[in-house]
Amino acid sequence: MTKKIKLDPKNIKYYLITFVFTVSVFTIFSSSTALADDLKSPAFEIQMSTINITGGDKSSASYKLSDTVGQTFQGQFNSAGYVILAGFQYINTLTPFTFKISNLAINFGSLVPGTPSLLSNTLSVTTGSAFGYSVKTIEDHPLQISNGSTTIADTACDLATPCLPTDANVWSDNTRYGFGYNMAGTDVDTTDFVNANYFRPFPVQNINNPVVVMSRSGIATSSAATVSYKLNIPGSQAAGTYQNSIQYIAIPSF
Amino acid sequence: MKNILLLFLLSICFFSLATKNVYAADYGLSVTPPLLRVHIKPGKSITQVFTINNLSQGNQTLVARIVPFTEADDQGNPVLNPKSTAPWLGYFGLANSIIKFNEPFTVAAGATEQLILSLAVPDNAPLEDVYATLMISTYANSIDQGFQGAQLAATIGSNMLITISSAAFPDTILKIENFTPQANSLFKIGNLYFADSITPLTFTADVHNDGNFAAETKGVFRITQGNTPVYLEGILPVNVIGKSSRQLVNTDGQPFSFTPSLGQIGPHQITLEIKTDNSNTSNSITIVFLPLKLLIGLIVVVLIIIISVKITSVKPNHIPESGIDNQKQHL
Repeated sequence: MTKKIKLDPKNIKYYLITFVFTVSVFTIFSSSTALADDLKSPAFEIQMSTINITGGDKSSASYKLSDTVGQTFQGQFNSAGYVILAGFQYINTLTPFTFKISNLAINFGSLVPGTPSLLSNTLSVTTGSAFGYSVKTIEDHPLQISNGSTTIADTACDLATPCLPTDANVWSDNTRYGFGYNMAGTDVDTTDFVNANYFRPFPVQNINNPVVVMSRSGIATSSAATVSYKLNIPGSQAAGTYQNSIQYIAIPSF
Repeated sequence: MKNILLLFLLSICFFSLATKNVYAADYGLSVTPPLLRVHIKPGKSITQVFTINNLSQGNQTLVARIVPFTEADDQGNPVLNPKSTAPWLGYFGLANSIIKFNEPFTVAAGATEQLILSLAVPDNAPLEDVYATLMISTYANSIDQGFQGAQLAATIGSNMLITISSAAFPDTILKIENFTPQANSLFKIGNLYFADSITPLTFTADVHNDGNFAAETKGVFRITQGNTPVYLEGILPVNVIGKSSRQLVNTDGQPFSFTPSLGQIGPHQITLEIKTDNSNTSNSITIVFLPLKLLIGLIVVVLIIIISVKITSVKPNHIPESGIDNQKQHL
């Protein structure tokens, strides 16, 4: 035969306070420090630089280490007079740093005033055994006829949203003329190139410094970004063939 | 009719023979190693082979040169100074028989070339660090005049950190700076941080090299409660060139992170330690973990229960039957 236990509603406050107090005391005082046994093991000590014990990855629930601790090179330096370390010690394979551009010729051909021309290509980077990289760009001068007297200015973007070599902004007004670029893809600063309407002018050699268009702090296995080049000229633009040279510089981090 | 046919066939043969392979103007180049770290005594010389591979579909005409740098950002990206005329640039040379610095050379499509870099440090060379990037650029001395637009050029590089010193371990002076926790549920009183005991925390820090020689950031991120270690994580060993700063990250390249457990309550010491070959540096902060979210949750639950009990314990108002009768009579 079961017996029903009824809580007196008058004492419910006391029950609740007791419950909360018990839980709090249990939480605060009954907690014990969680120790990881591995921390006391010899492997715990290997993280410092010249202790010649072991190498490789170590991990447990409470610690994570990756080291390439090897022999100290003091003896080698004293006897030979030099020490060479090629690549990064913490990356196991000496794979190459690679940079690719899908198309080196951005040929707009004939231009229609007031109608923007768009072309694109792809930049690809693999860091290999480097840990991080940056790709910077710079142009030798604005697009100009070979005699150098007439140019197509680099874009300043829309009147209400001016852009700079280091600051992309909206360029959607077809009555705003010039030459600029948009970036999209891996390792691109999407806070600056918000969408396909955001453009920057190229920095100019001897006036500006090269600007970063792709960068990563860490290993890149297949980073790729699309560069969209936009050119828009007014009806008053002098006829001729306009050219310039744009350089992309890919450097691994050290 | 025969003449026309013959002319047609001859034309076809001529154009068939005259055509050559045409490739899209792509570019692809790789370089190994991407970093060269050399520690050398004055009066010594070394050679290092840099292997470059032409990954593009066509032949590439390239130029190799050495560009110094003295600065870098906090991610280890050098700020190149192509106009520098540092006297130590003369220490470098190419031991190749044909390829010379600043002179074009051709690498066939898919082919590999070796640049044999020589570094000869004179006896009277100043004891210092020199930093440079071996840059390999595409070379073009003219642009097609019928071309309207931008002709692209590409450069790939490999960094070189050279320490010229008579000592095996030149002095390094590293300082850990800006060591701070990042979390929403965090507040600071004096030098003490207070944080919730079940909310993950991330930590950011920089290391500054006050010395003149590059150093490596080998060390650990450690959390202790009392003298008992609670959490340990390795610092990514990266190079910090002289008079520069770098961001410290864990071995995954991410900020240090720690998720306390429910029972980890009270003061905890958070320490970053870096040990170079001849010096140690560390920086610590203290965080008091409190069950803030848990207590807030309990208080909310208690309040809800109390309010619920109060609402359910209120007796409904009863209208006396005699009163209803009186109302009926009145109507």
